[in-house]
Amino acid sequence: MPDCSENYEKEISDGKNARNIKCKYCNSVILTPSTAAFTSFEFQLPLIRQSKINEQNPETENVSLFWAVTDMFTFQNVGFSNTVGNNKYLTCADCEAGPIGYHDLSNKMSYVALSRVIHS
Amino acid sequence: MAKKTYDLLFKLLLIGDSGVGKTCILFRFSDDAFTTTFISTIGIDFKIKTVELRGKKIKLQIWDTAGQERFHTITTSYYRGAMGIMLVYDITNEKSFENIVKWLRNIDEHANEDVEKMILGNKCDMTDKRTVSKERGETIAREHSIRFMETSAKANINIERAFSELAEAILIKTAGKEPGDPVDRVTVDRRPTNTSKSCCN
Ligand SMILES: Nc1nc2c(ncn2[C@@H]2O[C@H](COP(=O)(O)OP(=O)(O)O)[C@@H](O)[C@H]2O)c(=O)[nH]1
Ligand SMILES: [Mg+2]
Repeated sequence: MPDCSENYEKEISDGKNARNIKCKYCNSVILTPSTAAFTSFEFQLPLIRQSKINEQNPETENVSLFWAVTDMFTFQNVGFSNTVGNNKYLTCADCEAGPIGYHDLSNKMSYVALSRVIHS
Repeated sequence: MAKKTYDLLFKLLLIGDSGVGKTCILFRFSDDAFTTTFISTIGIDFKIKTVELRGKKIKLQIWDTAGQERFHTITTSYYRGAMGIMLVYDITNEKSFENIVKWLRNIDEHANEDVEKMILGNKCDMTDKRTVSKERGETIAREHSIRFMETSAKANINIERAFSELAEAILIKTAGKEPGDPVDRVTVDRRPTNTSKSCCN
């Protein structure tokens, strides 16, 4: 299912996140305003809940709208999973909900999926 | 270079026998709704948390062992750059308490010599199964001049407090030193932050 970009227009100001980015489930602050850059590309992100656990071949969905973070210490609170392939998945630091995005080990960029977080 | 949104970065480690609760301390007690998810099967490597102490925004990067402690093979690479260590035992497990001394030796051998330590007696919710008294924990900590606290990852007792006390101790220790010391300490922008801009809850 494609993201609906219109919903997010007001969240972007000068290419950055206008508001706090928080966990959908526990409200933990992941990024403070104006710390991540809006970017769009396609990525197959594993679903938070899997119907059956299959590490090699998880169920994924196509995600295309991301907040890009260049320095991992920009995050207010976040968890990094163990490495899978070339990536680490990002989670909420407080309730472990995730993946909320991923970290690319080759370019050190972190990408938070707009659809997996709330803005407030 | 992107501007830094924090003043200091502290790398913290959790050390102790297998089964004392290190993973639970770091990643909450794991019998909640998310345990059957994708993430719980891969496991979490480290966590970044932001605390504010004495007007400074401090990033804590907290690492869990990947289970190496089971084989007593925690080595220099895990300790590299560590500024704080939580040394954990289980108050219901005598052996894990006795091994604190071994871990202290391991830390002396492999970690930075001025690493700040704290001993945690975990699982303090299990009062009926306790075999290590709080006094014994306090005594060993006093003997080694280390901070001590009893915690419960399950009941969420003293967990946050332990991390902020450890961070505070590191902060005090770091305060007198000049940036650019030839240590693994990550020295970042030391300009005063504009605290009025902070808007997190
Ligand atoms: N009652 C109680 N059980 C705990 C606590 N912390 C951890 N445990 C349990 O102890 C076991 C080992 O915990 P774990 O975090 O995996 O230990 P580790 O090997 O040190 O990482 C698990 O079954 C946990 O559920 C606690 O504070 N209280
Ligand atoms: Mg563990």
